[in-house]
Amino acid sequence: MANSKLKYYFPLGLIICIVLDGTFSSLYAQYFFTSSLSIESRLTLLWLVMAIFYGEVDRLMLWAFIAGVIFDMYYTGILGIFMIIFPLIIYLNREVYRFFTSNFIVVLLIYLIDVTLVTALAYWANSLIGLTTTGSADFVVQTLGPSLAYNLAVFSLLFIPVKNFFEKYSSR
Amino acid sequence: MQKFFFNKKLVITLVALIISFLLIAFSITVRNNRSMPTFVQQFGNEAFGLVDRVISFPVAGVAHVGGSVSDLLNTYEENQKLKQQIDSLAADKVENQTLRKENKQLKEQLKLDESLTDYSKISAHVLSRTPSSWQNQIIISKGSFAGVTKNAAVLSRKGLVGRVVEVNKTNSKVELLTTQNDSANRFAVQLESDGEVINGLITGYDKQKNQLIMGQITSKKKIKKNTEVITSGMGGNTPKGLLIGKVVKTTDDDDGLATKVYIEPAADMTDLSVVTVAKRAD
Repeated sequence: MANSKLKYYFPLGLIICIVLDGTFSSLYAQYFFTSSLSIESRLTLLWLVMAIFYGEVDRLMLWAFIAGVIFDMYYTGILGIFMIIFPLIIYLNREVYRFFTSNFIVVLLIYLIDVTLVTALAYWANSLIGLTTTGSADFVVQTLGPSLAYNLAVFSLLFIPVKNFFEKYSSR
Repeated sequence: MQKFFFNKKLVITLVALIISFLLIAFSITVRNNRSMPTFVQQFGNEAFGLVDRVISFPVAGVAHVGGSVSDLLNTYEENQKLKQQIDSLAADKVENQTLRKENKQLKEQLKLDESLTDYSKISAHVLSRTPSSWQNQIIISKGSFAGVTKNAAVLSRKGLVGRVVEVNKTNSKVELLTTQNDSANRFAVQLESDGEVINGLITGYDKQKNQLIMGQITSKKKIKKNTEVITSGMGGNTPKGLLIGKVVKTTDDDDGLATKVYIEPAADMTDLSVVTVAKRAD
């Protein structure tokens, strides 16, 4: 890592992913946020999860924390939600990582579990502080389901390029 | 030894959770009371706003190419329609100008400098949108440098879309009317039924039907369908006369429940690229 270019490219990719989450939500708002469904784009999470399985990144926990702080500050304005959730995901994935060999199906399933966890925790935190009054049944049908479907599609598209990118710039 | 590590992990988790809850509580206080977020938060928002502009500009450009092609294909049809409308438009414009002049003269005679309908406009681009179902927020490209203030009303070309909730130096966050939370949607509105003005508040939003709910209504008069609902200018921050939408239906208060008016919003809250911040003149 000390000599690798990943030191510069990883944060750059992370920032691009955070920006694109918001840009896509804004550009395609008429498909993302309709009366019956709302899709939450999770490119940032995809980048972090792929970094665990295919990259050699120093201080990934810290980067996850920074990504969470930017997310909270710039997008939601409520500090303290994603800055805890992102490092937690990194920690859990590292625990799980030991038991599996990374291939498309394994990483896909773990990524989907992560998306579920992040979406559910964010929902829980927001309903706790009264920022949403949506019931849990509506949450599963309207937000979780569509978000999983969308992120599954994005993951399938981006898996090969992102994997190649991490493998190229890691000395593993 | 094992027990020691377990304890260490537990302590770290607890400390992290406590800090998180404190920060959440702090953010909500800032959101509800203070006009500006803390310096650190503002600085971060400025910096990331700049990065956002650099990266999202080309992406938005590419995305708009598709739209432009389909626009081009519809141009002929649209042109025909517009030609029919343009004659009446010229007449309307002249009438509008005359009325505006007369209004100004009358105001001068009354020595009424600024009424509730006067407001200054600040146009801004939509930079981004919160990728979350729980906060229906957009981030716009103007902040306190351009004169944006907290709680100012925000309009699209067609009507009211929301209000400013956080102001930084060069960008600000706007909470859309479609937000379903306890503190949102409190716009003072009015409509006219048979010459009588009926006041009320926007008290909620029905997501399934995409309708705003108007409650706390001051009169028991029958309200006709398709009546236009506008802001009333009461409550201090919003100018008078901004279009919100049209009445779809009214529920009666047979069971002792309060009358509710369902309004179809005039603006499309999912198709925003440029918005106007309306700052009241007084």
